[in-house]
Amino acid sequence: MTPGVQLLAVGAAAPAWRLDAAEAAKAWGRKGGKGQSAVCAPDEDVLTLAAEAANRALAVSGLETDIVDGLWWGTSRPPFAEGPSHAVLARAIGLSHSSSGALCSGSTHSGMEALLGAADAIGAGSARVALVVVSDNIVPGLGTPYEARAGAGAAAVVLVSHGGDASLGARVTRTHPFLDRYRGDGESGTRDLYDPRLFREEVFVPTLRELGEQLAALDVRAWSLPDPDGRLGGIVAKQLGTSTPASAAVYAELGDTGAAAALLGGIGALDAAGLVAIIGWGGGRATGLEINAKGPVRGAATVAHDITGGRPASYADVLRARNQLVASGETVQMAVPPESAQFVRGADEMLGLLGARCVDCGTINTPPSIHPHCTSCGSAKFVLTPLARRGTVHTYVINHTMPAPFVAPLPIAVIDLEDGARVMLQVVGDGSDITVGTEVELVLRKYAHERGVPVYGYKARAAEGAATADAEVTA
Amino acid sequence: MSWNRVAVVGAGLIKFGELFEQSYEQMASDAFSAAVDSVDAGFEPTQVEAAIVATQRGTLWGQEGIGGNTIPSAIGLSGIPCTRVENACPSGSDAFRIGAMAVASGVHDVVLVIGVEKMRDKSTEEGLLSRAASGHPIFTRGETAPVLFAPFATRHMYEFGTTREMLASVAVKNHHNGALCPYAHFQNEITVEDVLASAPVCHPLHLLDCCPQTDGAAAVLLVNAERAEQFTDKPVYVAGFGVATDHPYLHEKTSFTSLKATQMAAERAYAMAGIEPSQVDMAEVHDCFTITEILDIEDLGFVDKGKGGVATLEGETSLTGRIPINTSGGLLAKGHPIGATGVAQLTECWWQLRGEADARQVEMRNGYALQHNVGGRGSGVSVVNILTNNKS
Repeated sequence: MTPGVQLLAVGAAAPAWRLDAAEAAKAWGRKGGKGQSAVCAPDEDVLTLAAEAANRALAVSGLETDIVDGLWWGTSRPPFAEGPSHAVLARAIGLSHSSSGALCSGSTHSGMEALLGAADAIGAGSARVALVVVSDNIVPGLGTPYEARAGAGAAAVVLVSHGGDASLGARVTRTHPFLDRYRGDGESGTRDLYDPRLFREEVFVPTLRELGEQLAALDVRAWSLPDPDGRLGGIVAKQLGTSTPASAAVYAELGDTGAAAALLGGIGALDAAGLVAIIGWGGGRATGLEINAKGPVRGAATVAHDITGGRPASYADVLRARNQLVASGETVQMAVPPESAQFVRGADEMLGLLGARCVDCGTINTPPSIHPHCTSCGSAKFVLTPLARRGTVHTYVINHTMPAPFVAPLPIAVIDLEDGARVMLQVVGDGSDITVGTEVELVLRKYAHERGVPVYGYKARAAEGAATADAEVTA
Repeated sequence: MSWNRVAVVGAGLIKFGELFEQSYEQMASDAFSAAVDSVDAGFEPTQVEAAIVATQRGTLWGQEGIGGNTIPSAIGLSGIPCTRVENACPSGSDAFRIGAMAVASGVHDVVLVIGVEKMRDKSTEEGLLSRAASGHPIFTRGETAPVLFAPFATRHMYEFGTTREMLASVAVKNHHNGALCPYAHFQNEITVEDVLASAPVCHPLHLLDCCPQTDGAAAVLLVNAERAEQFTDKPVYVAGFGVATDHPYLHEKTSFTSLKATQMAAERAYAMAGIEPSQVDMAEVHDCFTITEILDIEDLGFVDKGKGGVATLEGETSLTGRIPINTSGGLLAKGHPIGATGVAQLTECWWQLRGEADARQVEMRNGYALQHNVGGRGSGVSVVNILTNNKS
């Protein structure tokens, strides 16, 4: 029992693409292949997914982002193998410069480690508001059975010392040093199981059953159970006397979301009172946790909606997005490298999306660092202000002709934000859902990947329910 | 009363194209020779006192930064003062303006203005397309050259009902003119259907809405107006010029149906020349894309705002129309070797004013020709030069 740790709000996010398992099987000359998995588009990754889930949880929490004391992030694949992953995410979410927390990684168990780390910080009184984000974007070995199962997704929860609609309850952990799925030094693809039956009979089922039986001593209303291959989850569920775990629907939509799976599979069930038990697995460890909801938790009811959808991607698209299909020859590099001074000067305005509001005429100039004087009145007196995250398309283009590493079509739009600022940004997708006047929201995306590291910025995305563009503008 | 303190007594260019076999230096030398040979009363190269050279993208031929000081040697005049001008797409027209000011100041009596550009020594991917990765790492990412003008097409279509056919009619007209111009990169006629069916480059612009990447060079000889008649009995005078800047990024534009820099530069040039837009007989304007010419003819005051597409479709800007535009074939057909572009446009104006434009000759009722460029990342700079064959 973790005293006084409550759950205030939850959020979830899924990437834009879905891979049909049959597509992957066909590429390797195999028949069959059931189900689908979620795959990050080239401009998405664990960090953009994490930011989207976190923003959703924070939005429904009703809290200002700057009162969050820390960010606990669990992912098996931090975007910088060594680097400012945690700092970039914290800044992108809008946490204060003095926020704390931890980045947990090393296995898919890291999602539970982030959750429990945050809970312990609340329990110990070192944090009053903790943001937990779990996200993963599994890159599987090419041609392995796991390829069509490897998914992507993110979940976020806001933990507080009081005032939430759910509380964290019992936790149990087992360790069992065993190489199930892992990635060696310098490898990009996660290795598939060495021997599925060995794994099932000697490791997975006995460990999960033991954990599950301890948790099942209480009246569990919904389970989130690991399901690495599409069958093991069902086997364990049956042994625990439950029919279908709540997590099954998430696996069916997204595949195996790694470090995000345990939380993502359970938070949707927090939309009603009752006990939800979640079990996280990976790296030779398994941890179970009970969450006791007194009533519907904020954000829980929209989880299923927020992760459903996506557009079908071809197998070749998926390989390219996972950097497993790379064009030969030179690619064009950014004018300034990701380590350069421009990124130091621009960190807040690029990740925090800041503008400079002119004190004399009210015009918002973006980005602030290149505007010592107001573009409207010439004044040099400004206050920094976060830009509005919604607006409408004033005009746009769809660029079809670009050198590698760009991938066409690339829509770019001039957007009038709700606060009056005007920005020009890339648009998510192929441009078929925008036209002049389309309502858009700004979302964090990966703009480039250079020298082995990502570069993040905001893109526009057609707001949900926005009008669809005609193929040709008033042609 | 026009300014008229400086005269153009010689002008010439080389055939534009993908000149893989010619060096930057060779192109410059040949353009200079063409200008020298055009002087009616004869001209000795050593009469050149100073040169202004326009080269915009030294990066495209591996000699960034030094284009200016290679020219005197290349044209056999090593030792003369020479300065390079780099001011986006109007580099050539701005070099002309600076050359005219150098003569008007009295420091030099005879100045060579020469524009030279190697666009195709690098592959298209490494050349202009690489702009997609240049500039600000986020806010300009993906901005190839068509991205700088296509948003204006989208908005012009939205606000004024301009159609792709109207855009295409710009390309059809300029290719028709280019087919009559022995210096043009492309000398073939095209149809509206050709333009509509060409590959999409940057929606709503397609391939034939875009100018090609072209190597080229052009040169003009400027002299003090008082000495003009020593060189020719058909001098052409610099009636006026104007330059204007605008905010450099697209998101800073308040309008996507006009180019403020063009409007301001034109206003200044007209005031200096003492004329109205209606007195201009023909104009060479910046048609890097079809939409650009439509914006230009509106912003320069030749047609009402919003009517540029209709006017072009109805032939008002053809060789026999009310205001012939881009009689040389324009950037779309003649080509756009950036530093050379403005100087070549001025050469066409010079020919038209002297009645030497052959099959492209238009009627010069008032004796005024206008040349215009606009460019920079967000069309942040424009230059307008006005030439006249009226002595005062």
